[in-house]
Amino acid sequence: MAKYGGWAGKVLRVDLSERKISTEDTIEKYKDYLGGTGIGYKVIWDELLPGTKPFDPDNKIVFGVGPLAGTGAPCNGRTAITTLWPTCWPRPLVASGHMGGHFAAELKYAGYDAIIIEGKADRPVWLSIMDGKAEIKDARQLWGQGIRRTTVEICQEMGPEPSVAAIGQAGENLVPMSVVINSYSHSAGGVGGVLGSKNLKAIGVRGTGSVRIAGNKEEWEKVIKLHLSLLGANNQHVVPNSPQPWSEHYNPGSRWVASTGRKWGAAAPSIETGPCEPHNLNKIAYRTNNAAFFLGEKAWKYTVRGNGCTACPIRCHTMLKVPGVSTKYGIPEIGQNTCVGLLFGRGFFKTFPDGPKGETAIEACMVGMHLADDLGIWDNYGQVQRDFQMLYYNGTMGRKVPEKEFKAYSWDKYEQGDPTFLFELLPRIANKEGELATALGLGTGYLLERWGIPEQEWLENHDLLYWKLGHPKHHSNEDAGQCGVIINTQYNRDAQCHSHSNFTRNGLPIEVQKRLAADIWGSPDAVDSVAAFAPMNKYKAKMAKWSLLRKELHDSLSLCNWMGPWVASPLRERDYRGEDSIESLLYSLATGDKKSSQELDRVAERIFLLHRALTIRDMGTKDMRTKHDTIPHWVFADPKDKAAFTKGTIRMDKEDIQLAMDMYYEEMGWDKQTGSPTRDAYQRLGLGTVAEELSKRGLLP
Amino acid sequence: MERQAEICANIVKIIRDRSETGQLLRADEILVELKSRGIPETQDLDRKTNLETLLEQVLAENPDLRAIYDRNGSAYYHSLESLSETYGRILLWKSEDPLWMIAEVVRKNSQLYPRPVSVDSFQEPPFGLTGEEVVECLDRMAHDKEYQDIARTDTSVGTQFLYSTDHLEPDHAIALAEWFDVGQVDNP
Repeated sequence: MAKYGGWAGKVLRVDLSERKISTEDTIEKYKDYLGGTGIGYKVIWDELLPGTKPFDPDNKIVFGVGPLAGTGAPCNGRTAITTLWPTCWPRPLVASGHMGGHFAAELKYAGYDAIIIEGKADRPVWLSIMDGKAEIKDARQLWGQGIRRTTVEICQEMGPEPSVAAIGQAGENLVPMSVVINSYSHSAGGVGGVLGSKNLKAIGVRGTGSVRIAGNKEEWEKVIKLHLSLLGANNQHVVPNSPQPWSEHYNPGSRWVASTGRKWGAAAPSIETGPCEPHNLNKIAYRTNNAAFFLGEKAWKYTVRGNGCTACPIRCHTMLKVPGVSTKYGIPEIGQNTCVGLLFGRGFFKTFPDGPKGETAIEACMVGMHLADDLGIWDNYGQVQRDFQMLYYNGTMGRKVPEKEFKAYSWDKYEQGDPTFLFELLPRIANKEGELATALGLGTGYLLERWGIPEQEWLENHDLLYWKLGHPKHHSNEDAGQCGVIINTQYNRDAQCHSHSNFTRNGLPIEVQKRLAADIWGSPDAVDSVAAFAPMNKYKAKMAKWSLLRKELHDSLSLCNWMGPWVASPLRERDYRGEDSIESLLYSLATGDKKSSQELDRVAERIFLLHRALTIRDMGTKDMRTKHDTIPHWVFADPKDKAAFTKGTIRMDKEDIQLAMDMYYEEMGWDKQTGSPTRDAYQRLGLGTVAEELSKRGLLP
Repeated sequence: MERQAEICANIVKIIRDRSETGQLLRADEILVELKSRGIPETQDLDRKTNLETLLEQVLAENPDLRAIYDRNGSAYYHSLESLSETYGRILLWKSEDPLWMIAEVVRKNSQLYPRPVSVDSFQEPPFGLTGEEVVECLDRMAHDKEYQDIARTDTSVGTQFLYSTDHLEPDHAIALAEWFDVGQVDNP
């Protein structure tokens, strides 16, 4: 029997240029990096030269899953896809996209912890993985097809069970703003074009094996039950969104939308969610309805059910049935997605004839999902929609797009909020047809450069939510003040970190949040009420570090950082405490590699540090503080010119943010002047060779 | 003593059962229920002090059982296992005076979380007021000095929110209303 449980034990390496398939020992080579993004960063560090471009055959793309994928641990369905990021501007840097669904579990059941794709096939191919057998197959008949048809055709060959991750026309055409999608709607943004550049249309994976749990079975089940008992709704919101008999607290911003009388109206027969009392673990799936949360009350009548990922009872991927769209727009009446994916179509429009939460807005969402999830277009966390509105309404688009092409669009439909406009726009983005569509498909940074728009304009405009490197903010000062700002400086795309926002939005009263914060980060002063932020303190820096490390930990274990961490709970009897060590309990039992919460956080820190090292190496500078960890001007402005730290503003203070960065770097053990990790910091985490390599390049502080 | 223990056990069950249906109980309703169950010696409980003493004992021995009081000081009993104090208070305020309910809900929210409360939410369960009732309450509120701490603000998409100036500064309330109504969905 293998020494460790959890891991499948092998990493699949597929060289498309040589049509060569090989395997590597996961434990030998990657155990210190867990899996997921950890394996991804390790491969990119070891095997790519600085200056490699995303669409070069030399670029590699790693589909990584972790030791908890495919186990019974809740929320374990995430696959991390790491590569050089095509929309990272002005130069590509390492980043990762994350897809849910069942791909991660199937890969484990097939016997693999990761797939490393390298080279470029000489013609379109797809990769078939059936248990231990991987084959490169001809995809010429699939090239040019959308994601749905590709998925169906591969399933016809492999059988009904596989998880198929495919790119659409956008990826084939090397549109940087493109995705890979498994199971029709579970997408990972930004990477479609990298697969397209390798002529790899899809990966179909089917496994009939299992994941061995190394630890005691009873202990394992006990931890699973503990974890389930701590779950809230999507984003770990731990209170309902309206008063419920069982709950002392409620929060209208909560995604726990279940209540007596609320029904999945398109289920046959319809299903009432009921109040979903938290001790009833069999009703967790009824708590969340993200269509109702994002699209409004009308979405209840169209709700069929919640869908989602392996072993996740949250079911945040809401399935909708809107019969009217079939005859009106000629699209399937069923659609499903979560969060920004639901809003893809709606986001392009400023107004709708019946308001922002009317029937037309829902129809726009259905049309948007249908097109984007088939063509494989990415929204960059809603940035493409915000850019589109801005560029149209401020007249830039009319000036930059050739007149004949511009007039060919039905702008009257657009301004009226007619969803049919999306049929004109989205296929053109996927096919790079014309100046407008081509520019939009580049991503914000390259679009601005192409059209001669100074990035400064985007950095100053709060409405655009643009942060840096061609990407928007993702839960920054609006959610968590200085902690949110720090987190948003650290990545090469939108931060995708929810560790902090899942806490600040959990719905508990501020005094309860402060009590929990004192337990976790050492002081109640780590958190503030929204729009009533206090000056920086070291506990906020601790919260930022913890948030980032837990994100990397989740991305490497295959746990969902859209749900975790689980440090708050809906349980009154626990005084709403969660369990800070749930990840280490699960990891230790699954793998047999016993690690405390602190020890596992150090592994996460190693992974995060490798991401930092890669960024430093590929930027060719150690001056991360001023060249990379930048903050947009809108963070330091307020529409009413209210001063920072007064109630009613999320405005930050420049000097205070400098102090925040000082405290954060200090907390990380990095050099404060440059924001770069020191040699000691690398060595402390077992990355001495990384430090050596950076030293040779003059990139150590 | 055995008899008393039996009565106490029945009281506990009566309160818990009623809480499971989402309702509060007054002492006189508990007495009626005891009698309907044919519990002997309940006649003695007709004397108010006896019943109150027993209820005090029951609450002391069962941490899930609580009493909340209306504006006249009358006690209403519930079990936290299935009916929270927050929910119970809403039920009580609603039965007393919807205007009082709106004001107290707004004050509690402004103090605790803190956040303003959308006017529309009072038409949803468990508040369950009609649009006309809400408008009437707000009109009365505007002219009653007891409610002068309750202020209104409209978000950028026109949703009306209420907050208490005793607990929230106007600029903070305005920002929070915008955050709940627009900001959170725009920043998912």
